[in-house]
Amino acid sequence: MEALWDDFATAQNTCNGYLLATTISPEAPATDPARLYNFNRGTNAYSLQTDLRYKLQYNPSLHLEKKEAASWHEVFTAFYTFTGKLLAAEEAQTASRPREADWSTVYESWKEVLSAVYRGYSGNVFEAWTIPCLYVVGKYLRIFAIKADEQVAASQRDSGLAFGELQEEDAFGAASKNEKLEDAARQINRIFALCLGDRSPLEDSRKWALYYTANLLFKTYFRLNSIPLSKNILRSLRASASDTPELSSFPRAHQVTFKYYSGVIAFLEEDYASAEELLTFAYESCERRATRNLELILMYLIPTKMLTAHRLPTRQLLQTSPTLDRLFSPLCTAIKRADLRAFNAALEAGEDEFVKRRIYLTLERGRDILLRNLFRKVFIAGEVEDAKVDGGGVGAVAKRTRIPVREIAAALRMAGATEIDDGEGGVDTDEVECLVANAIYKNHMKGYIARDRGIVVLSKTGAFPGTGV
Amino acid sequence: MSGAAQPNAPTSKLQPSSDSSDSTKQPPATKPAAAQLDEDDEFEDFPVEDWSKEEEVGAQQQQQQGGNNTHLWEESWDDDDTSDDFSVQLKAELKKMEGGKKG
Repeated sequence: MEALWDDFATAQNTCNGYLLATTISPEAPATDPARLYNFNRGTNAYSLQTDLRYKLQYNPSLHLEKKEAASWHEVFTAFYTFTGKLLAAEEAQTASRPREADWSTVYESWKEVLSAVYRGYSGNVFEAWTIPCLYVVGKYLRIFAIKADEQVAASQRDSGLAFGELQEEDAFGAASKNEKLEDAARQINRIFALCLGDRSPLEDSRKWALYYTANLLFKTYFRLNSIPLSKNILRSLRASASDTPELSSFPRAHQVTFKYYSGVIAFLEEDYASAEELLTFAYESCERRATRNLELILMYLIPTKMLTAHRLPTRQLLQTSPTLDRLFSPLCTAIKRADLRAFNAALEAGEDEFVKRRIYLTLERGRDILLRNLFRKVFIAGEVEDAKVDGGGVGAVAKRTRIPVREIAAALRMAGATEIDDGEGGVDTDEVECLVANAIYKNHMKGYIARDRGIVVLSKTGAFPGTGV
Repeated sequence: MSGAAQPNAPTSKLQPSSDSSDSTKQPPATKPAAAQLDEDDEFEDFPVEDWSKEEEVGAQQQQQQGGNNTHLWEESWDDDDTSDDFSVQLKAELKKMEGGKKG
């Protein structure tokens, strides 16, 4: 028990928020692995109040004001109850009786700790330097909520009540399968509002917890598939931007995480310009050993870059992650080579994963770039030996700027574009012209279709903008 | 236990650690078992809260590339390489067509 109180005293006397947060953490520090066990066993329901009073009010090494001591007293009372529940659940877990581990109770008891901590702030008792305590309560609330919901789902499966094709929600009516996590979202939202509404001067403000809390909410809403709720958070932050410190003054971890989620939200709204900016920042500022996070950022940045800048990841970039390599390499190779068959195959192969991450539709648009590359190949392949074509000067490599639709059709057919088949073994030229028209519309090609003559007339200069021809 | 490998870097600031140690008294892992790819577009906690510019990915690139991101992104079309299979076949096909009928 003593190490905990030593840390508490040190933290209070040196205003070390992170150290303070470790004293109420559900995870014991490596230096004191039996901490929670000792805390729980070191007192009991009868002597708890007295013990706490000695530790908090009559402790010579601590100099807490009355109100502060009282608030911490509440926190540790709740914490005591919590440790009991947690230890019981862990015991059941490690004794291979996982079904008996009552994570719902653990969640509820941690929620009490959160409430006590919350009151310490809402009553303006705890000073701003202690806000890592808010991080701890929020972070673990999510974790326990997930565990509790997981367990409910598992026990429903076990009891055989979830049968056949029925979704669990249908079978059991009102109770959502994310009940605790939804509750956690509400709690963390309260914390967010608490921080947002702090009128203290910035040196002493809870506002410094804003981005950490916002990030917790993003993670929660994403997991709950309620991403639109994230926009409320963004809106609130923007609304109070004038009296909130700049994002750049917050710890890097808060910044990068925030930019990642903001970037993904923008991506999902098809605001690809913003997504590119946000995700690029997240990528470049990310700690370089955080490989998993880098992978996640790239998962969205790659499709974004494909769309905004028409650029593809290099082999070097893709090789930084086996997952990225597997998912994107075939696709990118196909686009570069204008290999429609390979592209379709790659898209189909990765479909499940792409859909889960909501990047499928964006990647599909890679087909536009592929088609452009295809038309470009036709253009380049059609070099004319006759040098007096189209005013090309001496030595200029003359390319035809008039390309028969038939030839484009042939190229498409070769590449495996089944959409141009007319169903009778021939080619539907309307479809071909449609594809060409779309490319022109999207500014992938410059020119027009002379329909009566069945020819595509390309611009003499910059027929394929951005590609050097 | 978390499905993703977390870097187990010692933290200079004492903060709630998100990696699990081996103690059986250890509280729950950061994710429920079977953290599959589908649930995981969730950012991991960084092992440290803050880091210097030198430790960023961007800084690393600067050193290696002299300020350019050239090893990250490339053009979306092939170099004017007219010798790959497809281009060769295409040329042959087009020549055939041109020979047969004047456009």
